[in-house]
Amino acid sequence: MAVLVLRRLVVAALQLVAVAVAVFALTSLLPGDTAVVVLGEHATEEQVAVLRAQLQLDRPVWERFLEWLGGAVHGDLGRSLLTGVPVAEEIGRGLATTAVLALLALAVVVPLAVAVGVVTGRRRGSRLDVVLTGAVVVLDSVPEFALALLLVALFSLQLGWLPATAAGASGWELLAQPAVLVLPVGVLVCRQLCALARQVRVGVAEADGADFATHVRMHGLPERAVLFRHVLPNGLAPAVQQLARAVDGLLGGVVVVEAVFALPGTGSGFVDAVMARDLPAVQGYALVFAATTIAVNLVADVVSHRLVPQREVVA
Amino acid sequence: MTTVTRRTLLKGALGTLTAASLTACGGAASGPDGRLRAAFPIGGGEESLDPHTSSLFVDQARAKALFDTLVGYADDMSVVPRLAEWWEPDATGTRWSIRLREARFHDGRPVTAEDVLYSYRRIADPATASPARKQFLDVDFAASRARSATELELVLRAPNFEFPSAWGAPATEIVPAGTTEFTAPVGSGPFRFVSFQPGRPAVFTRFDGHWAGRPTLDELEFVPINDESARVAALLSGQVHYVHDISAHSAALVQGDSRAELLAAPHGTMQAVALKVDRPPFHDPRLVRAALSGVDRDALVAVALNGHGQVGNDLFGKGLEHYPPDLPQRERDVDRARALVREAGAEGLAVDLLTSSVDPCFESAATLIAQQLSEIGLRVAPRIGPAETYFSDIRTHGVAALTRTASLPVTTFLAERVRSGAGTANYTGYRSPEFDALFHRALSTVDAAERARLLGNAQRLARDESGLLVWGFSDWNVAVSRSVSGLRAAPPNSLDWARFERAALG
Repeated sequence: MAVLVLRRLVVAALQLVAVAVAVFALTSLLPGDTAVVVLGEHATEEQVAVLRAQLQLDRPVWERFLEWLGGAVHGDLGRSLLTGVPVAEEIGRGLATTAVLALLALAVVVPLAVAVGVVTGRRRGSRLDVVLTGAVVVLDSVPEFALALLLVALFSLQLGWLPATAAGASGWELLAQPAVLVLPVGVLVCRQLCALARQVRVGVAEADGADFATHVRMHGLPERAVLFRHVLPNGLAPAVQQLARAVDGLLGGVVVVEAVFALPGTGSGFVDAVMARDLPAVQGYALVFAATTIAVNLVADVVSHRLVPQREVVA
Repeated sequence: MTTVTRRTLLKGALGTLTAASLTACGGAASGPDGRLRAAFPIGGGEESLDPHTSSLFVDQARAKALFDTLVGYADDMSVVPRLAEWWEPDATGTRWSIRLREARFHDGRPVTAEDVLYSYRRIADPATASPARKQFLDVDFAASRARSATELELVLRAPNFEFPSAWGAPATEIVPAGTTEFTAPVGSGPFRFVSFQPGRPAVFTRFDGHWAGRPTLDELEFVPINDESARVAALLSGQVHYVHDISAHSAALVQGDSRAELLAAPHGTMQAVALKVDRPPFHDPRLVRAALSGVDRDALVAVALNGHGQVGNDLFGKGLEHYPPDLPQRERDVDRARALVREAGAEGLAVDLLTSSVDPCFESAATLIAQQLSEIGLRVAPRIGPAETYFSDIRTHGVAALTRTASLPVTTFLAERVRSGAGTANYTGYRSPEFDALFHRALSTVDAAERARLLGNAQRLARDESGLLVWGFSDWNVAVSRSVSGLRAAPPNSLDWARFERAALG
């Protein structure tokens, strides 16, 4: 196990460097630079030149990249070209907002998906199965953006039950006004529920019908114990991998959700940074996202690795 | 057993949602009493409270709350006094005397002539990279001076009887002499700084010592909401009281809603196509004339602006001071346009029309213009470019591009966009010694009526030659909650635009 983790960590470090290089290269291919974007519509060439020099954009790309990489190794992600704020600080501010959204969504989606998966998996073909499976498929087929607008139109503008945006709130302070979180978290949950619940459903159905389950049932083990001690651990192994994908999906989903609900998290921060050609910030965000994805997948591998041998033993 | 399991799991999962919806009523966000919340898009632009580098509308709105300018613009972009209560040029139009009113900064210091000189020097300094720098290029700062605490003299290198319009331009706010840091800025505006972080809300509070009297509003909060539909939703659900910059589509929505009111300023933004007259094919004046006759302006306003605007007449500044009166409206004449294209030997010529999503009407306008011009024998194809760098891209690329300009004084427009020395903001590449001479003569003319006549002549010349096809003026739309009074529709950059100190919440 330790070897597995160690090997994965080395690969992860290489992956991060690759992401950094790719993002730097791609971003510098975009037309225009920060100076052009910042000065906007009415800038003269002279002004652009002045600002470009101030931001050191007149230096070659590779030179700036090496300097950035040197800093990044020491944990210094540089300063945002736009705001002058250290990139790490800027990302940190957005991270709290995104973490609130993603963690709440996970806290809802995991038990919900397991519940739906278990119910539908153990009663395949039943009316409940058809209704629940149908419902999550419908949710899955509505794009995030449309779903968000639909929910806002209904629950905020029509019924007036919930605020339409989080206007002005951010970070941990969001937890003090849970009402603004209901719709954004709801959208994220709806989007991730389907794939995860279906994965649980398949796993549970398989484990439920497997020989070992029949075997322990024949020995008179109570149904609850069959479910929790045998069916679930075996049925959930594939779902853990799906959960890792769901976390990636959540990170992708927050970009849309943050825009629609005016939440200043890492998703909108990343989009703004790309729009503004703010290279150090773009790099920093890309690294954080990549690191999250790598870490989540690593954890998922380890967890399913721990779950799977059980099946081997029992079966 | 399974029933219990399911119930337990569902309870856990839904717990968060239920708890959240129970507190929903308490969390409804109308803010404390007397705090107006205004939602603005912040874009990716630099977020700073330095008024001299502000380039986004939200920067300008915040600058307007914290600082003041020497003059402001009425709706027709004519000059009205603010910090300057009196001014007069000498006979040559190069030496301007200004007297300041009695006004104080938020920390109690009086606003002095030295503060004005410091501010204008800072704007003119290339290192500041101020968008207002062009307005002060002709100022001889070595010769300019403060005559007393409240009187100063600005000396110009060339005569300009329209110089006061420079003092009301965006990014010309007066800051205390010596200011270099703007993290907690001190100004002389109606609101004082409370808190701000880039990308986050800015909170300002009433400045009781403002020279124009105590603001009616206690507090003002600028809330960043980039997504246009989110801005409108926030307004309709009562989270904010004012939303800046809404599309024609949302304008229609707001008009039909009892919770909000649309404030539409006519002539807000000029919508035009810049035909580059300094390169083929539009270096041929016949093709420029063909394009001007070939577009259907009424159809463009009806479709691209959803009817929320007015037809243009190939000249900036409709409805503004110095716009020449009684210009006949240019109408579509397909036969004449086709004949001109044929005469120029350009039948079937392929032309790319650059456009982008930077303005919501650009893309549909480009499609329609391409179609209209294909009816006169040109093969025009819209080409969509990236929004963030669009206005810089079209300076160097292409032969025809959609462009727009918000309200600003006609003389500023002519100086910065049409005159030969105008440089990069002259999107059509127009260069005409005749126009330059006429414009220079106008600015050097003491007599206001004669000056207006000369400016009219200069504009008529530019209208025929400069390659700017002004097809319309889009309304400038903001929306306010019904609970707000004291705000009115005003064109961008004017004094009453985004001015909140006389607003009241009721």
